[in-house]
Amino acid sequence: MIENLGFIVAAYVLVWGGLAVYVISLIRRRGS
Amino acid sequence: MIETTTAPFPTIRVRPWLGVLATLSSVIATFMALVWAPTDAVQGDVYRILYVHVPLAWLAYLAFFVVFIASLGWLLTKRPWFDALAVASAEVGVLFTGMFIVAGSIWAKPTWGVWWTWDPRLVTTAVMFMMYVGYLLLRSLSTDFSRRATRAAVLGVIAVIDIPIVHLSVLWMNSLHQLPTVMRAGGSPSIDAAMGTTLLVSVVAFTLVYLAFLAERMSIELDRQRRMFEARA
Repeated sequence: MIENLGFIVAAYVLVWGGLAVYVISLIRRRGS
Repeated sequence: MIETTTAPFPTIRVRPWLGVLATLSSVIATFMALVWAPTDAVQGDVYRILYVHVPLAWLAYLAFFVVFIASLGWLLTKRPWFDALAVASAEVGVLFTGMFIVAGSIWAKPTWGVWWTWDPRLVTTAVMFMMYVGYLLLRSLSTDFSRRATRAAVLGVIAVIDIPIVHLSVLWMNSLHQLPTVMRAGGSPSIDAAMGTTLLVSVVAFTLVYLAFLAERMSIELDRQRRMFEARA
């Protein structure tokens, strides 16, 4: 069992999720 | 006198490749960070968060240093290309700073027992974040292109002073935050080889992500400038 798995997953999801949202923002600005 | 002909961004042809390379290297870096790298003897597995926290912090420093160089470029030459570079790098830098503060906070809870503490490194980082959020807000205060670019450039030159303060704050003051492990004066990196390799791959991945974001954001800004100059003509 990996210790503190929830913290690790939360950090990676928030970082890569945040970067993905920025990519979507760039695509939308490119389209407008 | 403002040079109104905005030449195409030189790396425009490599933009799709940058995106592909950034995605592939990020997948490899994430696999190495979560699976391949060994568990830390002291911190356990939670230290794996540092494989995103540390590269994002270094790339944020780089992004704000690029803002400084581009701001000087605008002030000295008045070429709009420099203003586009400055705003693009500032925006990505703010994004990366927000991300590494969040990742650091999530790492701190199981390690230090708190989400946030008024530690010199954390406070100076928060100040850096607010300064560059202010830089982006300042840009929305004027619709006059030249005035806006000049005001922003002055702040972009001044704000860079916070980068060495953030990095050296752990040496200058008593700090809960750990001392530099890799970028330290007078010594080689004190890090396990497999962990060092994983960190290096993560730094390469986030550098490619930074370059891909910078190229795309800059291209959008140059298009905006071109439309503005065409409307004026």
